[in-house]
Amino acid sequence: MGRRCAVVGIGQTDYRRRLEVSLEGLVRWAALAALEDAGLTFADIDAVVLGKAPDLLEGVMMPELTLADALGAVGKPIHRVHTAGSVGAATAISGATLVESGRYERVLVVAYEKQSEGNATWALSGGKSGGQGAGGTFAPWIRHYIRRSGAPEHIGWKVAVKDRRNALRNPHAHLRIPDISQAKVRESPMLWEPLHFLESCPSSDGAAAVVLASEDAARRGPSRPAWVVAHAKRSEFASFPGRDPVRPQAGVDCAEALYRKAGITDPLRQIDCAELYVPFSWYEPMWLEGHLLAAPGEGWKLTDSGATELGGSFPVNPSGGVLSSNPIGASGLVRCLEAARQVRGSAGDHQVDGARVALGHAYGGAAQYFAMWIVSADPDPVFA
Amino acid sequence: MTSSPAPPGAVRTVLEYPYTRTTGGVLGAFLTGIRDGRLLAGRVGGKTYVPPPEYDPVTGAAANPEFVEVGPGGTVTAWTWVRHPTAAHPFARPFAFALILLDGADTPFVHAIDAETPDRMTTGMRVTARFARERAGTITDFHFVPEPGTAREAHTDPSARPHPGTAPTTFGDAAGQSHSSSRTTGSPEPSTAAAGPGKPGEGEGPVTLTTHVISLEYEEALYPHRERFLAGLRRGEVVGQRSPVSGKVYVPGRGYDQLERVVMGEGDDVVVAAAGAVSSFTEITPVAYHGQKETEPYIRASILLDGSDSPVTGVDIRTIPLAEFRVGLRLRAVWRPEDERDLSGFDNRSTGGWEGVFASWEPTGEPDADVRALEEHAF
Amino acid sequence: MSRPVAVVATAATPVHAAYAGPEAGLVMSCVNDLLAATGLTRADLEFTIAGSCDYLGGAPFSFVMNLDGVGAWPPVYESHVEMDGAWALFEAWIRLQVGDVDTALVIGSGKASAGDQRRVFALQTDPYTMAPLGLDPVSLAGIQARALLDAGLATEADFAATAARSGAGTLAELLAAPYVSDPLRAHDVATPADGAVALVLAAGDRARELTDRPVWITGIDHRIESRLPGLRDLTDSPSTRTAAAGAGVDAGPIDVAELMVVHSPEETILRNALGLAPGTVVNPSGGPLAGHPVMATGLARVVEVARRIAAREAGRGLAHASSGPCLQQNLVAVLEGDS
Repeated sequence: MGRRCAVVGIGQTDYRRRLEVSLEGLVRWAALAALEDAGLTFADIDAVVLGKAPDLLEGVMMPELTLADALGAVGKPIHRVHTAGSVGAATAISGATLVESGRYERVLVVAYEKQSEGNATWALSGGKSGGQGAGGTFAPWIRHYIRRSGAPEHIGWKVAVKDRRNALRNPHAHLRIPDISQAKVRESPMLWEPLHFLESCPSSDGAAAVVLASEDAARRGPSRPAWVVAHAKRSEFASFPGRDPVRPQAGVDCAEALYRKAGITDPLRQIDCAELYVPFSWYEPMWLEGHLLAAPGEGWKLTDSGATELGGSFPVNPSGGVLSSNPIGASGLVRCLEAARQVRGSAGDHQVDGARVALGHAYGGAAQYFAMWIVSADPDPVFA
Repeated sequence: MTSSPAPPGAVRTVLEYPYTRTTGGVLGAFLTGIRDGRLLAGRVGGKTYVPPPEYDPVTGAAANPEFVEVGPGGTVTAWTWVRHPTAAHPFARPFAFALILLDGADTPFVHAIDAETPDRMTTGMRVTARFARERAGTITDFHFVPEPGTAREAHTDPSARPHPGTAPTTFGDAAGQSHSSSRTTGSPEPSTAAAGPGKPGEGEGPVTLTTHVISLEYEEALYPHRERFLAGLRRGEVVGQRSPVSGKVYVPGRGYDQLERVVMGEGDDVVVAAAGAVSSFTEITPVAYHGQKETEPYIRASILLDGSDSPVTGVDIRTIPLAEFRVGLRLRAVWRPEDERDLSGFDNRSTGGWEGVFASWEPTGEPDADVRALEEHAF
Repeated sequence: MSRPVAVVATAATPVHAAYAGPEAGLVMSCVNDLLAATGLTRADLEFTIAGSCDYLGGAPFSFVMNLDGVGAWPPVYESHVEMDGAWALFEAWIRLQVGDVDTALVIGSGKASAGDQRRVFALQTDPYTMAPLGLDPVSLAGIQARALLDAGLATEADFAATAARSGAGTLAELLAAPYVSDPLRAHDVATPADGAVALVLAAGDRARELTDRPVWITGIDHRIESRLPGLRDLTDSPSTRTAAAGAGVDAGPIDVAELMVVHSPEETILRNALGLAPGTVVNPSGGPLAGHPVMATGLARVVEVARRIAAREAGRGLAHASSGPCLQQNLVAVLEGDS
């Protein structure tokens, strides 16, 4: 059902404090790169979808209005998505829906954050004193995970080292720590027990963009398409009696729906690599379990075995992930486009050899919003 | 948000932040021109635009605009007379906002005209830019005044000040800039001296960053369920709401049970204990940001009060050492004397504010509660 | 060819000047009304999408709190636009076109009463050259009104006539009222208020199972214009015209049109851009000037038209929503009953 949709163009800025550009310049950087990759110009685009985290981060209300000119959207539809931290992936999914509906041939999807314009901790606390930051929300659940799973404490350090090492292969990555080591992570300041400074994501500026196209349009493009074979979203309340915040049901449901749509029956084997939204190190094993890639209590063992390293059997975050670059509103789209780069074979130095099927993922809010997609080198991958 | 005095039964909050905006080269050149007392347009595709665009406004294609000086005179193409200025406007007295086509430009832009009375305003009228003597390199460094006759009026305004909402700065110098807090409320005397536009500041680099202080006030009535909750705290009771469907007790109540989709009213209010078990906590190491008052680490906890099914959150603990703090730890609240209870930390949605009501939380000495059972309350 | 998609149930809270309760409560009341009207359970609604805005009440992630009213346990397939609920409708309609989902819940909600929305909405303007001047939507609408007057396309009496039709008073009274932002008077400007609206969409046969009076959305489109008023012709709304063409407005007569006229001069601009015939009844509800629950106002236009068609008061109608200063972004939907 629905038309096929493919990623035909990918663009992203470097992720760091981008003090040399305006907001317009930032989003155009990514958009123009995606268009160039697709061999297109703004004139070829039928609709634009824009995603970012809260408007309070930059103090610009409904920025689709002020960025419409810069994104070549004048005279066209422009649509704005906001689903907390999952927004980048949710924006990609909205864009894919526009193509799948049969209504639009080519859709430009852009997501961004310019954290340096404001202060995320201020915004997340609603401007109040005593903001606890995202890590303060997640740390208690991480402790529960550790207690429940019996995971040794070095798992978090190991993820932090792996993702930072991967980042050294990704020229767009923000944090570049050549001498990263478990000792260095362990010795970095404790921010929120058990999370050390080096187990936490940075505060980045950046924009990401993809051009999504119908099958017809995709086959006419210059680059190899990454086919969007499935996507799924699920949300649940932030808190309620009976909730499992460590392994939220919405995350499980989202993964089940995603794999069912793609025809995937054994995700760990049938998916070649994943870009998971891991802003704090422990979320790698937590999402491996929470998204049915590993059985409960087994995720940390997969991480510990080295399987999730570049070169392992199931590389996770070969780009360096959110731990290395976090332009909040764009981070989910970066996961989705990095998955697409892998199956297009265009991931450069962090390419996973032979990747044909990849998972892009983001979550947001109090680990309550989930958005995921599966991209493939084949329009109709057959899973055995 | 910072709370400020509000009428009884109301909550007032101020959402204020000094946003720092990097300009990029094109807007930077425009703002640098303003700082130097000149108005720059950008020529792209044979058309002269104000403000200069970073790209071709027609196609969105990349473009490098050619900068040309325009104005300071211009013609009003449409206008409104603002009779009730907001605190964010450039003038506290009535003034005009108008579309102004600067001499030499092809597109008008919106700015303010200080015209004293609406009688002076007409479409097609001539205006001229008047620059503040002290300029930051922001759009608020100048405004327009009616051009008297054909005489070219000097356009340096001795009384104008940088707008309180904006402040200049150059690269890497975001901190430590002072903003003027005055507004252009005086009646500016047209300068009779041929002052002309100010000269570029000696040794000043191009404007690359501009600060916009956004300050918004919100005020609303306390919600009825919230008012009853606060009244309870005032008299020494923690009031929650029991779902008429599931029987689960929420503290504080939200006025509804979201799981059962039912509204809850006063009849659903129940009093729970001011004692319970820690269901979750995090140690806060305060980071500095605008409005942050905390400097020392402390514990932020959620506590499942006895008789409830949802924890109270945002409880700040400052008297129990981190090493002794744990999920499952049983605590009781120590109430402040009734006449010392301060409810101002609570608004309609915040979870904090408990410190105004409870002097501290003390361990009860009872055995710990079951940690696994508390996981669903780890918020 | 589009998959047939219909509005099968609608709900709206009263428009509150200041609602003393959480926005989620407004949303919950709408959702419960829709479930009661359709006999559906929450889980039966396969896709959910809401439109709301953090800045209205000044709280980041206000839509997360709204989820309490939307309903999200067991987990739901859900999304959110930081736009008027009319754009949530657009995405839901598009989602149903894909074919694997047959029902959708669409919500728009807002609590504008807590803030000074003239100051809040000034943050929609260009952050470098307009927002620092505090350029508010009322002032910008005043400039647009002046452009209309200067072009001879409308008179102040036309503005007053629009306000009078919304129930603001007699023409003579209104024209005698003082200006607030010349040439606008207080009654020319909708007062931001609190409220929520919601509707259920269903596709094809599912729509007929759920109601014997489906209101089909036969076309929907939206377009945007430049952020800079100086690059626009403020006397016209080309984005509305293009959206109307995309929605297929011209395919038949329009019996009723609900237009998001937040400032009375916008009615003239929209009528012209939409090419409405003299026989079209415009804003029989009174329009936003009679009730402006910000972020729900656009979706409320769809609800108003759908209710009139379901009641057989009209056969074919048009709903319009707008966002941004001076009608910067416009959405047009065409609704039709079974003929």
